[in-house]
Amino acid sequence: MIEVQDLTIDYETASGRLRAADAVSFTLAPSEVLGLVGESGSGKSTVALALLGHVAATARLVRGQVLLRGENLLSLPPALLAASRGRRIGFVPQNPAAGLSPHLRVGGQFVELVLQHGVVGSRQEAMTLARDQFALVGLPEPHQLVRRYPHELSGGQQQRVCIAMAVACRPELLVLDEPTTGLDVTTQARIIDLLKDLRSRFDIGMLYVTHDLGVLAQIADRVGVMYAGRLVEIARADRLFSNAGHPYSRGLIASVASVEGTTVRARRLRGMLRRKELPAGCAFFPRCDQSEPSCADRPQALECVSDGHSVACQRWKAILTQSTATVEAETQSVSSRTANPAPLVRLDDVSITYDRRSVWRRLLGCKDRLVVKDLTFSIGEGEIVGLVGESGSGKSTIARALSGLLAPVRGDIRFRGLPLPRLADRSLDLRRDIQYVFQNPDASLNPRERVHTALSRPLLLYFKPDHREADQRTRQILQEVHLEPSYATRFPDQLSGGERQRVALARALVARPAVILCDEILSALDVSVQASIIELLAGLRRETGVAMLFISHDLAVVRHLADQTGVLFRGALVEFGRTEMLFQPPFHPYTEELLLAVPAYRKQARRSRPSASLKTRTPSSHGCVYASRCQHHRGRICDEEVPPWRHTVSGHAIRCHIPLSELENERVIGIDEDGARLAAAIS
Amino acid sequence: MTAWTTTSATSRSRRLWESAPASFKVGVAMLIGHILLASVGPFVAPFGSAEIGTGIPLSGMSLAHPMGVDQIGRDVFSRVLYGAHIVIVLSLAGTALGLVIGSLVGLLSAYVGGLFDEIAQRVIEAFVSIPYLVLGLLAVYAAGPGLAGQPALMVIVIAIVYAPRIARMARAAALDIVTRDFVTAARLRGDGAWSIIRRDLAPNAASTLLVEFALRTGYAPALIGAFGFLGFGVQPPTPEWGLMISENRNLILVSPVTVLGPGLTLASLVVAVNLTAEGLARILGRSADFSVR
Repeated sequence: MIEVQDLTIDYETASGRLRAADAVSFTLAPSEVLGLVGESGSGKSTVALALLGHVAATARLVRGQVLLRGENLLSLPPALLAASRGRRIGFVPQNPAAGLSPHLRVGGQFVELVLQHGVVGSRQEAMTLARDQFALVGLPEPHQLVRRYPHELSGGQQQRVCIAMAVACRPELLVLDEPTTGLDVTTQARIIDLLKDLRSRFDIGMLYVTHDLGVLAQIADRVGVMYAGRLVEIARADRLFSNAGHPYSRGLIASVASVEGTTVRARRLRGMLRRKELPAGCAFFPRCDQSEPSCADRPQALECVSDGHSVACQRWKAILTQSTATVEAETQSVSSRTANPAPLVRLDDVSITYDRRSVWRRLLGCKDRLVVKDLTFSIGEGEIVGLVGESGSGKSTIARALSGLLAPVRGDIRFRGLPLPRLADRSLDLRRDIQYVFQNPDASLNPRERVHTALSRPLLLYFKPDHREADQRTRQILQEVHLEPSYATRFPDQLSGGERQRVALARALVARPAVILCDEILSALDVSVQASIIELLAGLRRETGVAMLFISHDLAVVRHLADQTGVLFRGALVEFGRTEMLFQPPFHPYTEELLLAVPAYRKQARRSRPSASLKTRTPSSHGCVYASRCQHHRGRICDEEVPPWRHTVSGHAIRCHIPLSELENERVIGIDEDGARLAAAIS
Repeated sequence: MTAWTTTSATSRSRRLWESAPASFKVGVAMLIGHILLASVGPFVAPFGSAEIGTGIPLSGMSLAHPMGVDQIGRDVFSRVLYGAHIVIVLSLAGTALGLVIGSLVGLLSAYVGGLFDEIAQRVIEAFVSIPYLVLGLLAVYAAGPGLAGQPALMVIVIAIVYAPRIARMARAAALDIVTRDFVTAARLRGDGAWSIIRRDLAPNAASTLLVEFALRTGYAPALIGAFGFLGFGVQPPTPEWGLMISENRNLILVSPVTVLGPGLTLASLVVAVNLTAEGLARILGRSADFSVR
């Protein structure tokens, strides 16, 4: 149906031309889902946009064509192209908040689209269609929803609106550019279900661009792997996962942290894509472990290795004979440590609010809206405690409270047995002991400061070393986070995202802290980079014995790193205990939902829920925090009474009204084989 | 990259210069021209700065008097040459002093926030609400008659007039910066206010502040001239350009070149400072090693 031929696109940059897509060719059959995967900068989005006939203003089409049923979109006159976009090809953007106009009601935007393409004749019909479509994509109460503005919807709902608009004209092809990247795992899983559902209903072909192989395993028929603007491998999804022929594909697969805990120390990708330093031959050569000397100057072309499987690597024969077993190395997770270390940080019934606590509000009887409610847990010396939950669950708030940026309303935070004072009253030594690493390394490093200065500032502040000592220590710490000492003279914008996060980590480590608060430090990074940072963190803990509070929305990441894990929902812990136990029944219903949502390419048979829509009840303020979304809701008791903590024999705690024995059985309803497989994989 | 670390400092600054925006190079060249003019001008000027009877008053442009002759027979070109250093020193020094004071107050105000910020802002607003000239005159008056007409006083007056306005600009720029994570990190770490202002806020606000500096440097000569015109600034017959423009502006129709001469010279100085500062701001907006980007 769609045929991309020899597509080559250059970007004009200040320092010359950059080839974003290099001789990319592939075809897409009707109602087929093709996944396009690669790290940032691999050119996958450029290709996706070319499918819409769009070439960015700074880009130049060198050659090639995109044929939609024989018609070259790239040479179509603007008027005809505009008629095709939206009508014949739908587009779902990465960031739905940016894809929707903020000052138009979502219904209005939909109406505009369908009227534009003449799908319906009148405004009324269009509005009816909008409601139908919104219902189709599983949006709740479409009658009211059409009148809402984008900011009144959640991220997942916004993305559903975008999808509804993209499929409104029943296009033949849907181009999805990282549609779930900004979303929570649970939301992501529901969006994938929706896309599968839409595809089976309307026979829409899809080009799904993502950096997450796990997602593609669930939805894609075929997967194309891109590196440095070139398609290096294309194969059926199952074949790619079981028998990838390109070293880069293998590296990508190994980089995916899976809940099973098998691949963390496998042969992952090393280094990063540097577009400025590509060799004449294979672009992947500098990072390849399988290379021969001749790879450096012999360009690699896609070669058919078996039916429907093409690889651009001269060594594919040798690589294909290596079983994936060599890629899988150590099954042992990092988190096997001695139990019960002495507590370093203790939180007791801590509640936190962002509300200003003024006399005026108290007089009016305003109640504080608590972001975190009655939280109790502790972090031992040298222990890594993971906190998992979706956005808005209060994970970061806890880190902020520990760092002193926020003071708890109630409760007690102790550090080494002593109450933790407000930030202003903390001694330099106490500040040194508690270091914070932020989510986004772009924002946490001063853009006008060289790496060396960034690292020596805490050094000078805490240890007052002389120049030589400071230099030496900076060099040493850079090595500890696996960066070249020459990086010391660089500015942050000369580093990649992963390297920046390493510098941020180094800046925390250089203070020799007792505990590091890691606030979603992986979520801004590529998968391959994430894997290497996880390993770095595990190594650092082994060597320095530093404790960590590791906050993440990704269960798989926590699985590899944390000794103990807490699951947070709307500011309350619902489950806490040793990390291994978290992945074994009994599950808290919310943990179960989280586990089911984790995309892992090994478990293709993830059970999809009967309906893609959100089953929501109005959240109540008294009962169980999760009651409104619980699949195992038990009636009034859940809505009205705070559930008790139930402890398993292994010391694991679950906060639920349903007795443990039943929880263990409940999962059979939900996840019979998956649960069994999970348990098997872990044991 | 490795080559970069091993290259010597001279070739590094050479690379820096080569990769700088063209407007910056033009600006720097013009500025160097002005500084040369200011330093050698008095020695090469054909006439003295206060020498009268050099030609027929208001006789217009000629080879002997490229900028004409003013109403009492002084050669305008010579006076422009003599006055160059006064303008450059007074306006640059005054604006620079204003920039230092203004940025410090503005950045501190944004960083500390709360009540301090409120009070500082109200005081600044009070200053800004007083017109330039009135504020300047108040300062001159406060200094007393003994100091009137002293160049040092002029520098201080310009600084007083400019500092509150620059402070507001600096605060606006810093308000965005203080919310960023690297400032939070420094705060958590225990860095003091001064350290944070010096290392985090000032470098990141620099590009905004430099543009502000360039613009204000351009207005300063006019301000100096206005004070001179009112009899409180540099006194005639000092060959200050602003003063010369205001002295001769009544006769602009009779002999345009006597006004345009110093006017255009002043304009070229303003353009030079602007281009330089803008170029500098653009350079600061990137990392110092352009080859990597």
